[in-house]
Amino acid sequence: MNRFLRVTLLLIVLLTACQPAKTTPVPSVTPVSTETAVPTAAPMKMTFMAGYKPQADLPFVGVYVAQEKGFFAAENLQVAIEHSQGQGAHLQLTASGKVQVTTQDAAVLLQRRADPSLPLVSFALIGQRGQQAYAALESSGIKTPKDWEGRIVGYKGTPPPDMFAMLKQAGADPAKIDLVNVGFDPRLLSEGKVDIYPVFKSNEPYLLQSWGYKLVLWDPADFGVPTLGLAYVTSDDTLKQNPEMLTRFLRASLKGIQYASQNPDEAINIVMKYAGPETDPKLMRYMLDAEMKDLVIDTGHANLPGWQTKAQWQALADMLQQNGAIKPVDVDQVITTKILEAVYGK
Amino acid sequence: MKRSTWIAGIIVLVFLLLWQGMVWLFKLPPYLLPAPSLVVLTLVTNASMYASATLVTLGEALAGLLLGLLASVLIASLLSLRPALEEGVMTLAILVKSTPLVAIAPLLTLWFGFGILPKILITSLVTFFPLLVNLLTGLQRVDRALIDLFKSWNASRWEIYSNLRLPSSLPFLFAGLKISAPLALIGAVVGEWTGASNGLGRIMWLAYSNLNLPYLFAPILILSLAGMLVFRFLIWIEKKCIFWQAISMDE
Repeated sequence: MNRFLRVTLLLIVLLTACQPAKTTPVPSVTPVSTETAVPTAAPMKMTFMAGYKPQADLPFVGVYVAQEKGFFAAENLQVAIEHSQGQGAHLQLTASGKVQVTTQDAAVLLQRRADPSLPLVSFALIGQRGQQAYAALESSGIKTPKDWEGRIVGYKGTPPPDMFAMLKQAGADPAKIDLVNVGFDPRLLSEGKVDIYPVFKSNEPYLLQSWGYKLVLWDPADFGVPTLGLAYVTSDDTLKQNPEMLTRFLRASLKGIQYASQNPDEAINIVMKYAGPETDPKLMRYMLDAEMKDLVIDTGHANLPGWQTKAQWQALADMLQQNGAIKPVDVDQVITTKILEAVYGK
Repeated sequence: MKRSTWIAGIIVLVFLLLWQGMVWLFKLPPYLLPAPSLVVLTLVTNASMYASATLVTLGEALAGLLLGLLASVLIASLLSLRPALEEGVMTLAILVKSTPLVAIAPLLTLWFGFGILPKILITSLVTFFPLLVNLLTGLQRVDRALIDLFKSWNASRWEIYSNLRLPSSLPFLFAGLKISAPLALIGAVVGEWTGASNGLGRIMWLAYSNLNLPYLFAPILILSLAGMLVFRFLIWIEKKCIFWQAISMDE
């Protein structure tokens, strides 16, 4: 075989063989749990897929911290952590059982249960208020939703029902606003391509402010519109067949969230291990602080992080239905308190 | 260095200078358009991260390209030996090619897990169609007179294939490779966009969703360079293999 071919073959072998180890961090060593977790336990394995990229969303943080601080190991639970692009692959993979736990926004979960009947259920609600708000540049002079009339308003995905509900509450006429579909790009607001831009409260406002812009923000919850945030989600099958695994997962993740609330700097360092140098740790801290605020809102269940009630989900479902966003859905199918009861011993 | 290489170098340099000038002149913030100097700085300060990511992506691209090549050689050969199958198989091939990646990627993850295999498969899906079309054309488009000559020597279908069709298809194969090799790079990156733990595509996705454009542009620079090198490498191999034909215009 001539020299040239040998060199080419060597190159091919080298390139295909040189696969650096996955960057997904491995659980750190010997957990020292001061609580008495259920002793026993057959070791269990599962896959958690975050519903978006690695960042300081509270349910993600709970998992990252539980992994790094050994809370999962203390439960004899081995968790593989993956991330989704955010377009719904995580829901498909959870529904089919490839992934055991994922995260999802409450409204989208209701929508997906209604259509196409994805067999998914929320077993803990981490965000007691919705994540979304609407922003305008302070320099635009827009002060109330009524001022939106005649302006260009961006929406992500499909026209958001919570926005319409908010406009109704504020006495504004939705027909008078110019709706445009936008993606994730707050530059559209800073460059004046839209007057009002849909933001995640814990994300874009920080970016825009760091670019030197002052914002006006409207949160639909402030107008009495029912909104809910991120939940831990699993499939009907996993819930039925492996509630013990979910209980261990939730107990450790809630512990992770609690740890993060008390040690935010360390929590952010942990998040940065899963993200990378392209991620701004200050943005991560902003995100963590913002979402911590929505962890517990006094809804009468003794401030238990993660708790959820049929009433709050029903209110959200009703609002979505009234604004034409979903077909009727049975909320009892969408949520369960079984795992929460096991964790909190209620 | 050849004159054409000098010219290429100057064109690229002028482009970079114009870009740098535009950013400076219009005071464009990095989140709108980063200056090439900032991109290079980002690349250099994170050299080891980009290096390991490049290896991963290049590995996926190469493996995917080889797999696509293997698949196209097998299918094209099958079709040239059994022409009756051509229409049916090509219809399937076009179906595969037309399916958007967004629909396929979660299925691949479902069947093959979260590792590197789905990315390689996506890359091979992206590369195999141009290779198949070119190879098939090459295998079929042989001078009628030569085929008659072989037949007059009582050559079997297999002998015609291995001694006539296959060598004659090489120029077409290389044409296909010149299209598919850059596609393989794109395929690997897109495969990583759908979810990966390492690689340039993953960095680009994270960088964009953080609106950290310098980190986004650095892989683009790397990929352009890689694409150029791969292209030149292919031309070089082609000259060695197809010594009986003129390849470039200035020969």
